[in-house]
Amino acid sequence: MEELFGVSMNIIMVALLVILIPSLAVVAVMAWRNRVMLKMGLRNIPRRPAQTVLIILGIMISTLIMAAAFGTGDTISYSIRIEAIKALGTIDEVISLPRASEDDNFGSQPYMPFDRFLQLSEETAGIENIDGLGPGIAEFAPVLNPRTSLSEGNMRIVGVFPDSVAEFGGLNLSSGGSARIEDLGSEHVYLNDDAAEELDAVEGDEVRIFLGDEELTFRVLGILEPGGLAGPDPTLAMPLERAQAVFGREGQINSIAVSNKGGVFSGAEHSEEVTRQLRVLFADPQVAEELKLLLMGADALDALERREQDLTGSLQAELASVRAELAKDGVSDKLISLLADRQVSEEILEALGSGGLRDAERQAVTLFDDLGELSIIDIKAQLIEIADEAGGQVTTFFVIFGLFSIMVGVLLIFLIFVMLAAARRTEMGMARAVGARRRHLVQMFVFEGSAYALVSGAVGVVLGLVASALIVAIVNRIFASTSGFEDFQMTRHFEARSVVVAYCLGTFITLATVGVSAYRVSRTNIVAAVRGLPDTAAVDTKGWREIALAPALAALRPFRLTGRGGSALLALQPLTSLGYLAQAWWAALTVPITIVQTLAQLIWRPFRQGWLALALGVVILFSSMQSNEISVFRIGGALTIVGLGLSMRSLLRSAQMRPDLRDRIAYTFMGVLMLAFWVVPFGWLSAVFGTLEGGGPELFFISGIAMVAAAVWTVMYNADLLLKLLTFITRPVGMLRPVLVTAVAYPMSSKFRTGLTLAMFALVIFTLIVMSILTRAFSTAAADVETSTLGWDIEGSVNFNTPIEDIRQAIADHPDLSPADFEAVGGYTTIPIEARQPGAENQRWRWYAVRAASDDFLDAAGGKLKIIADGYGDTAEEVWQALKDDSSLAVVDALAVPSRSRFDDSEVPFAMEGIFYEDERMDPIELEVREPNSGQIVNLKVIGVLDQLTDAFGQIGVGMFVSKSALDDAISFQIPITTYRFRVAPGVDLPQTANAVEAAFQKHGMETEVLEELVDEAAAANRAFNYLFTGFMGLGLLVGIAAVGVISLRAVVERRQQIGAQRAIGYRRRMIQLSFLFESSFVVLLGVAIGVGLGTVISYNIVSEIRNELESIQFSIPWLQIGIIVAVAYLFSLLTTYLPARQASRIYPAEALRYE
Amino acid sequence: MQEYIVDATGLQKTYDTGLVSVAALRGVDLQVKRGEMVAIMGPSGCGKTTLLNCLSGLDEIDSGQVLIDGTVLHDLPDDARSDYRARSMGFVFQLYNLLPVLTAVENVEMPLLVSGVNAAQARRRSMELLDLVGLSERASHLPAELSGGQRQRVTIARALVNEPSIVWADEPTGDLDSETANDIMDLMCGLNQDNGQTFVLVTHGDEIGARAHRIVRMRDGRIEDDGGLPQTGETANSLAEPGN
Repeated sequence: MEELFGVSMNIIMVALLVILIPSLAVVAVMAWRNRVMLKMGLRNIPRRPAQTVLIILGIMISTLIMAAAFGTGDTISYSIRIEAIKALGTIDEVISLPRASEDDNFGSQPYMPFDRFLQLSEETAGIENIDGLGPGIAEFAPVLNPRTSLSEGNMRIVGVFPDSVAEFGGLNLSSGGSARIEDLGSEHVYLNDDAAEELDAVEGDEVRIFLGDEELTFRVLGILEPGGLAGPDPTLAMPLERAQAVFGREGQINSIAVSNKGGVFSGAEHSEEVTRQLRVLFADPQVAEELKLLLMGADALDALERREQDLTGSLQAELASVRAELAKDGVSDKLISLLADRQVSEEILEALGSGGLRDAERQAVTLFDDLGELSIIDIKAQLIEIADEAGGQVTTFFVIFGLFSIMVGVLLIFLIFVMLAAARRTEMGMARAVGARRRHLVQMFVFEGSAYALVSGAVGVVLGLVASALIVAIVNRIFASTSGFEDFQMTRHFEARSVVVAYCLGTFITLATVGVSAYRVSRTNIVAAVRGLPDTAAVDTKGWREIALAPALAALRPFRLTGRGGSALLALQPLTSLGYLAQAWWAALTVPITIVQTLAQLIWRPFRQGWLALALGVVILFSSMQSNEISVFRIGGALTIVGLGLSMRSLLRSAQMRPDLRDRIAYTFMGVLMLAFWVVPFGWLSAVFGTLEGGGPELFFISGIAMVAAAVWTVMYNADLLLKLLTFITRPVGMLRPVLVTAVAYPMSSKFRTGLTLAMFALVIFTLIVMSILTRAFSTAAADVETSTLGWDIEGSVNFNTPIEDIRQAIADHPDLSPADFEAVGGYTTIPIEARQPGAENQRWRWYAVRAASDDFLDAAGGKLKIIADGYGDTAEEVWQALKDDSSLAVVDALAVPSRSRFDDSEVPFAMEGIFYEDERMDPIELEVREPNSGQIVNLKVIGVLDQLTDAFGQIGVGMFVSKSALDDAISFQIPITTYRFRVAPGVDLPQTANAVEAAFQKHGMETEVLEELVDEAAAANRAFNYLFTGFMGLGLLVGIAAVGVISLRAVVERRQQIGAQRAIGYRRRMIQLSFLFESSFVVLLGVAIGVGLGTVISYNIVSEIRNELESIQFSIPWLQIGIIVAVAYLFSLLTTYLPARQASRIYPAEALRYE
Repeated sequence: MQEYIVDATGLQKTYDTGLVSVAALRGVDLQVKRGEMVAIMGPSGCGKTTLLNCLSGLDEIDSGQVLIDGTVLHDLPDDARSDYRARSMGFVFQLYNLLPVLTAVENVEMPLLVSGVNAAQARRRSMELLDLVGLSERASHLPAELSGGQRQRVTIARALVNEPSIVWADEPTGDLDSETANDIMDLMCGLNQDNGQTFVLVTHGDEIGARAHRIVRMRDGRIEDDGGLPQTGETANSLAEPGN
């Protein structure tokens, strides 16, 4: 994994080390200078081992989540890399013809003369980093092993040029030793391992290749190790000359593989340079010159600059390079190379298009087409990049989903230090009374916190890697039972860099939280602390002027001290001088801290008073209405409410209202309003504030935090009402009443501590409930087989080289098949085309696909369409019929229509304008479709949009449905049907029929799937991944449970004397124990109730919103799963409380009363 | 009815911290008559509080026997002993030991609730007691909102709410100024006189001790002077008003 949130992991690591190492060094220096505070800070760690263990477990959660996320990302990245390397072997780039000619077949790579390879060999002789070129042929055909009756419908047949084999590291037999392609006779072939496995073939077997009506038999001379020239997928290899004869392509090749200097891994390092040199070699300088002139126009340059600002990462850098090269004289090799890069050319066209430079865009399209004679794909480098991106995305995903747990972990650290401070209040007060400064108290806590942070970081990394290994094992199991992924197994892999980053991040989060909580602790009132009185709010007596001048004074201090050092030196006092200089150095180091502190103080006061938050919130709210961004709107709204509440509090304070009443009014107002703001369905907000779009997982995070905070404020500032209610309710419960009353009274009297614990529990439960409900909702949606499959039962695909002329007739003719078993049979072919929408803002031709469906298919297809154009009926059947009757009509897939709220905004090749997936109705939309080879344009009218489930589970893929007859005239080559769909008669066994069809049309490469099984598998995999994420997010529960344990342990210590008094007035042991258990139960269950309530409401809103896109999704509460989550949370919390409770109940009254 | 409400013989108690072994009580015999107010006095560390804790069943004894109203307290299981304390004993501590999270009235009613008294009755009785100690207007205040003297009054109300036959008071005025201490003693002496409840109090103050019927002096874990046990047949009613 190379990047996280778009930032290089190397940069992240260096930045973290740069922050952390000096921070730790500062702590170490402070410790060395102030050993008394160091001792005071550290002595508590071994004193209470159980508490220390709980604290470390609680604190490590941030590191654990980071390490688990990074470890999983590394594993995915590494596994894909390894797959890519295994598949490509020594092949680094592939050269092919960019355009097909009339002689080329549908579905094959365009052919070029073998002589072009010979010429290329001479041209590239000077390129130092190329150590081999391998001309070849790659085609696909069905292959059968008669001995085992097993077949492979889409076997790759490669023709290998014997003279090039050595340059690509040779071909190896899987039984050991080298294979010599030149030794193969005209009737001999090699199979690679994958092919041998598919056909269950061994050396000496006969295999048959089906090519149209022709059937060719070969003997297998050996089994090759896969990869490189031996191919990544099931591959059958023969000498190039023989392949040319087999496919009727004498003297021709359709690809040239390039091997770079270096091994399978290091070869890719030269890819950029080799690709650049080859692109320059293949480019037409005249065309490049024309392109340069076109792009040098001021408007074009502006458009490029704007586009560059929209991009990130390597593409942004490449576009910047284009602009830099355009500014230079002449046409540099670098510019040619950049222009010949397909991704860069796409961005340039996008820039021109979105800049409104239509003419320039059209000219550029033509020039880009003419620029390179051959196209070069740096395949290995691209696959490695994809591997890294996938790893990065997975890590980002896990980190985002782990944010809740990290947040809960931060709250726990804060809570722990607040409690430790409470426990040591008197001793700290005494320390302050005898002269200790605030910073000494901060230091004491920082020393203790640093010790916890360093140890828990290490524990967290180790456990995080274990969690990542567990995740990988689960994902492997999911893959093993999912079609298409059976062969992909991830290999555990952790980069040392990720371990360092996880450790540093976790430790840094802990240290930062410790710093903040230590600062809060240090502001204790000395008298109140010594006398054990309730703490009064620390009043900041510093004036604005004093605060504002602090950075300037801090900045001057090093100079003043240096000056004194100089004076001391002049006075011949070298030691004093050295002391001053050391102080000056230290003062210089702390200047940034003072500046940050000043800024915080300057902002904090008006923020606390409310008006700054209010002003900021209103500004953000208004800006969100301009951008229509829902995330910004939500943040602005939440800030406005907080600002309103705090302003109200300030006003009430001016009115001299009693503090408790003032706080209750302000925080209840804030809490209730905030809850209402987040609970209101999205649709209502849009109705009031206009259309709001966007939103992603981060919004879920923000909503969780805001809602839980609001609920906790409301509950905690009205706790006395709750207590009164409980007192009233428990009147009849006799002896349990005193237990219940104290169990509620204690937590409610420590608002901050209880509020934090409540927030922790509520947050974790909130996330788990939302995940559970959404998983259930998507599972019900995924189970909609009719929509997913368009009403078909079996899908069968045949090789495009061996199509079936008339499937109905073929079924009737085959002795093993009965036409009566099939209610309907239809088929279609997917053809890559280019499309654009006349009148739309974007007029570029975009890659898209057409699914040319037979009349039989359109006659029998069913399913459900998301949108149907006015005048074309109400049902899918009516639309399919319309398509059949009018060959100019089309139905597009869901991805071709933009969504207002799709979380995944990944680029789709073609998207229409003027319509949204959430729309209820549409007018027919005109489209132009261009066949790329012939350039023939067909005009189509879109009258419907498929449901997104059809693409998600139905194996259909991207593309629009049209009647096949619409394209037959427009496309120069014949379109064979490659995908068949069967609907079987009632009572017919599906798997058996699927197998029978596959066996019957083996020669055509028929491979069948039962669609319902695919839907079920996909739904099961989806569910399994959701459970995995739920489990990952459940890690936060550990923190909540640890928090309850820590609180209970502390409570036993803090309340020892009170326990003694309770025992003296007649509390039995069991009552003391129950009191602690009830107390934990109260906090946990209240947190759980808040989490379940809010989670259910927000899930309902999310499901309602998704229903706009996915009609089949249903809101239903998974009671069992929620019951299990609640039970686990509650039982484990009780378990962690049980021991302290037991300990409390066993304290002898006299002993407890004696305790101070 | 037993003549002595407290009848302790041969009490021995040693604290063993693992490093040091301290003999806190070395064979103590003590009898207290019903309705009597006894002050236990002596220098720090002489075993006064330990004796009070052992007599009241808050602490275990190593040997000897304690009879409270004829009941061998130390033979009772822990739960029964707790119930006994809830029903028949009251406690007043130097540091009040009120539950800080409960209001004055809630603190006072706790022993009643623990004994299973109906909530309404408990509240009524607690209010009566608070009235008796002059704090009915502060019933809904938390301990932190009361002065030291007020807190100790709440503690006394709590100690008396279940109409105990005996009240144990460990340095009840130790944390109070002399004026407040006198007020508290007035209150306790009055209650003793009016209700005939037995008071055993541990104190350092001679003035406080002087207001009891009898002063028991301790030194090094032994009773040095039991202050002259009242004669058999002498009852609370026949005892003079304490301190007079």
